[in-house]
Amino acid sequence: MMNINHKKEDLKLYWNKINYAYPILDDKIFSDCTEAEYDEVQVLIVNLGVQIKIRDLVFVHIEKYLRQHVASSFWSKYIKTAEEVKGFQLFKSSVNDLYEAVSSFSPMLQRLTKLNSSCNDNKLIYGEKNLVLGFKQLVRATLLSQLPIDFQCIINQFYKISFNVFDNEYENSDMGEDIMCSGCGNEYSDCNCAYIVKVFHETNRKLVELQLLERLTGQVLTNFIQLRIQSHIQKVCTGTFDVSHIEALESWLNTTVMSWLIRIYCAGSSKPPPDDKNIQNAISRFKQKLTYYLYHSYTKTRIDQLFNIIIEYPDSQPAVDDIKICLAKTDLRPTLCKKLQNALETRLLHPGVNTPDILTAYISTIRALRHLDPSGVILETVTKPVRNYLRSREDTVRSVVSSLTEEGAGSELAEELAKFAAEGDGDADKDEAWDEWNPDPVDADPKVDSNDRRTNDIISMLVNVYGSKELFVNEYRTLLADRLLAQSVINTEKEIRYLELLKIRFGESQLHFCEVMLKDISDSKRINSLIHQDKTIEELNKKFTSNAMILSAQFWPPFKDESLELPEEIKEHFEAYTKSYEALKGNRTLSWKPHLGNVNLEIEIGEKKLDLTVSPFNATLIMHFQNKSEWTLDELHQVMKVPITILRRKITYWQSMGLIAEKSTDHFVLVEADNKASVPSHQVQEMICEDEETESAMASAHDQREGELQVFWSYIVGMLTNLDCLPLDRIHQMLKMFASQAPGTECSLMELRQFLDTKVRTHQLVLQGGMYKLPKT
Amino acid sequence: MAQNINPHYASSSNPAKQSEDTIKLKDNHAVSKRLQKELMELMRCSDKGISAFPESENLFKWIGTINGPLETVYAGHKYKLSLEFPNSYPYAPPVVKFMTPCFHPNVDTCGLICLDILKDKWTALYDVRTVLLSIQSLLAEPNTQSPLNQQASYLWPNQAAYKKYLDEFYNKHKDS
Repeated sequence: MMNINHKKEDLKLYWNKINYAYPILDDKIFSDCTEAEYDEVQVLIVNLGVQIKIRDLVFVHIEKYLRQHVASSFWSKYIKTAEEVKGFQLFKSSVNDLYEAVSSFSPMLQRLTKLNSSCNDNKLIYGEKNLVLGFKQLVRATLLSQLPIDFQCIINQFYKISFNVFDNEYENSDMGEDIMCSGCGNEYSDCNCAYIVKVFHETNRKLVELQLLERLTGQVLTNFIQLRIQSHIQKVCTGTFDVSHIEALESWLNTTVMSWLIRIYCAGSSKPPPDDKNIQNAISRFKQKLTYYLYHSYTKTRIDQLFNIIIEYPDSQPAVDDIKICLAKTDLRPTLCKKLQNALETRLLHPGVNTPDILTAYISTIRALRHLDPSGVILETVTKPVRNYLRSREDTVRSVVSSLTEEGAGSELAEELAKFAAEGDGDADKDEAWDEWNPDPVDADPKVDSNDRRTNDIISMLVNVYGSKELFVNEYRTLLADRLLAQSVINTEKEIRYLELLKIRFGESQLHFCEVMLKDISDSKRINSLIHQDKTIEELNKKFTSNAMILSAQFWPPFKDESLELPEEIKEHFEAYTKSYEALKGNRTLSWKPHLGNVNLEIEIGEKKLDLTVSPFNATLIMHFQNKSEWTLDELHQVMKVPITILRRKITYWQSMGLIAEKSTDHFVLVEADNKASVPSHQVQEMICEDEETESAMASAHDQREGELQVFWSYIVGMLTNLDCLPLDRIHQMLKMFASQAPGTECSLMELRQFLDTKVRTHQLVLQGGMYKLPKT
Repeated sequence: MAQNINPHYASSSNPAKQSEDTIKLKDNHAVSKRLQKELMELMRCSDKGISAFPESENLFKWIGTINGPLETVYAGHKYKLSLEFPNSYPYAPPVVKFMTPCFHPNVDTCGLICLDILKDKWTALYDVRTVLLSIQSLLAEPNTQSPLNQQASYLWPNQAAYKKYLDEFYNKHKDS
C-alpha cells in the first residue's frame, strides 16, 4: 500500500518533470528547460519505459495545438479584400506568423528527436522517418485541412504586385518623365519597389522552407501567369500581321516570366541551386506548361484574326508563318478550320458583298492557306462553303473572266494567268522530290487524290467552282464579243495576247471560236476599206460614212434579240453596202443587226452644236425628230417597231440631254433653241439617264441556259396534262427518257428544280405536297 | 395495201422460231424510235386541245387528253384516253379507249370507240396526233348510223336535251 502511495507521489513528480520538458502537454510551447535538465528527464522516461507513449502523446498534443491555434490564426488573415496593398501585407504577415510559430517548435523538436532515437521502434512519423520532416508534414496537413474558400484572393494580390515590380525591371524603357513608379504605383520619391522585392523573396523563401509554396500558390501562380501571357499576347498582336511574334514571345517568357518564377522558387536568386533536383524539376515542368500555354493562346489569338490576316495576305505572311509553326505544336487545326469557316460565312457570304470582293477574298484565302498548309487539306475544308456560295451567284463567271482579262495592277488573276504561261510544264521534276514526300494529314478526305489538292492552282480552283471549263470559255466569248462591239477602235493585239494565254490554260479547241471572232474584226477592217473604194458607196459616203463589222454568225455568241426599224435613208445605205459586199464576196450576203454598233452624231440646234457617240437606237430616235418635231410614243412605236416600254426608257437619254421634252404624257417634242425656256430645267435633271455602255449586247450564259431549258417546257406541259401530277424526280426521269434527243439538253436535278421553281413563281405550275401540276384553267 | 401488211404477221409464217424472235426485237426497236419521234413532233407543234404522253417509262402505253371541241355540246369538257401500241405499230392501229366515261353515240360504256381509222381504215400514215384529232372531231360529229350507245344516238338530234344530259353525266363521272 505504502509502496503504491509512494509511487503515486513519484509519478506526479515524474509527470511534472515531463511536462516541464514538453510544455505542449499543457498547451504551452515555451519552456526554460535546458539541455542538461532534459537529459535527466529523458533518462527518467527511459527508465520508466514510456518513451514511445510520451512521444506519441506529445504528437497528439502538437496536432491539437496546431489545429486550434496556428492554423486558425493563419487562415484568419485570408479574407477577401479589394485593396491590393492590404492583400499583400496580409499574405506577408500570415506567412511570417506561420513561420515564427513553426520555428518556435524547434527546441521541442530537438528534444523529441532525442526521445525518438531512444525508442528504437522504427515507427514512421506521419509517413516520414525523420521526425522533423514528419512534423512539417503534420503542419501542412493541419493547415490544408482548414483551407478556406477564398484563400486565393490575397495570394493573387501579393503576386500581382510583385510581378508588376518585376516586370518593370525588365521593361523600364519609357520611364523618362513619369513621376509614378510603374512598378509599385507610388511616386518615385517613396518608391516601394525595393521593399516589395525584399518581402517577396523573404516570403517565398519561407514558403519553400515550409514546403507550402506549390500547394498554396501553384494554382494562383498558374492562373496569374496565364492571364499575364494572354494580356501580353493581346497587347503585342493587335492589328499588325507583318511581324513574326513567336521569337519575341518566347524570349519574353524566358526572361520576364521564367526568371520571376525562378526567383520565387529559389528565394531571390536568379539561378536555381545546381544541387536541388526538386526545384529544377518543378521549374522545368512549369516552363513546359507555360510554353505550351503561350503557343496555345498565341495561336488562338491569331486564329481569331485569321480572316483579316488572309485579307491582307501576302503582307501578313509573317503571321501566317507563325500560325504554321504553332499549328505543329498545338492541336488547334480543327478549331482553325471551324473558326475560319465561320468567319468567312459571316463576313463574306451574304448578299451585301460584291462578287468581285468575294473572289478577291477567295483568292487570298487560297494563297494564304496554301502557304499555311501545302497539302491543301485545310483549304479544301474551309473553302467549301465559299465555292458553294459562288456557284449560286449569277455573276461569278463573268467576274472571274473579266478579272482574268483585266489590265493593270490589282488584277491578280491576270498576273496568275501570265505566271502560269511562264511556268509552262513544271511537272518534270515531280518524281525527283520523292524524298520530300509527306503523308496527308489525318483530316484529309481519302477519296481525293492528294496530288490534285497540292497542284491545283488558283485559276483552276476558280474554274472548278463550276466544274466545267466550257462555261468559263463561253463567258469569256461573251465578254470578248461585248468588248469588240463596244469599242470603235479595237486593240486586237492585246486581245490576241490574252487569247494566247488562255489557250495555254484551256486548250486550243475550246477557244477556236474566239480566234475566229478576232479574225472577223481584222477582216472587217480590210473589207471596209475595199468597199469604200466602190464608186456607189463613195457617192453615198458623201452624206455619211459607215463601217460595218462583219461577224461570222456561227462563231459569235447569240445576240440579244431586239427589233429596230432604221430610217429609210440608212436602210438604203446599208442595202448599197450589202450589194457592194456581195459583189466583193460571191455567194455571201450580209444580215444586218441594226441595234448593235455606234453612231457618231453631229447635232445642230440653233446656235448649239453637239458631237455625240450614241447607240443606233438613240440615233434613230433623234433622226425621226429631225423631220417632224412632235411625236407620240405610239407613232414612234409604229415607225421604229420597238416596244413602247423600251422607247420610254430610251428617250430619257435625249431628255437628259435637253433636246427632247415631254409636252404631255407620251407626247414628246423637240426642244428648239428659241422655245427652250418653256421646258422646266429641273424636270430634265431629275430624269435618270441610263448608262448605255454597261448593257451587254449578248445574251448572258444564264439566259442562254434558260432558253435551252425552255425546250423541256413543252415536254413538261405534255407530261402534266396527261399524267396530272408528278414529283420532281419522276419529271427528271421522264425527261431523260423521252426528251434526250432535244439539242443541248443535259439537265441536272438541281437545275430542273430551279427551272420548275421559276415556273411556279410565274404561276405556270403549282407545287402541292411535293408534286408539280398544271394550274386549273 | 401490200405495204400495210404487218411484217410481224408476215414473218410469223416463217417456221424458224429463232429468226422470228430477232425480227420482233429489231421491230421493237424500230417501233420505239417511231414513237419517240411522234412524241417529239407532238411536243413541238402542240396543237390546241389535244395532248399525249407516255404513262411511265414504257413507250408503248400512253395517256392522251382531248378537250371537247369548241362550239359543240362537248365544249369545256376534258377527256382522258389510254393508247396502247402493239409491237406491230404502225402497221397495226393502237388500241384507244376513253378513260374518262364519255357519253357519245360511238363510245360504249367501257370507253371503246367505234372509229373506222382505228379499225379497217388504219394506215401507217396515221399517228398519235391524227388519231387524237380524229377522235376530237368524232365528238363533234358522231356517226349516228352505227351507234354503240343507243340512248346517246336517240338523244343527239335534240341538242339542248343532249347537252343537259351530257353535262350531268360528265360532272358525275369526270373524276372517276
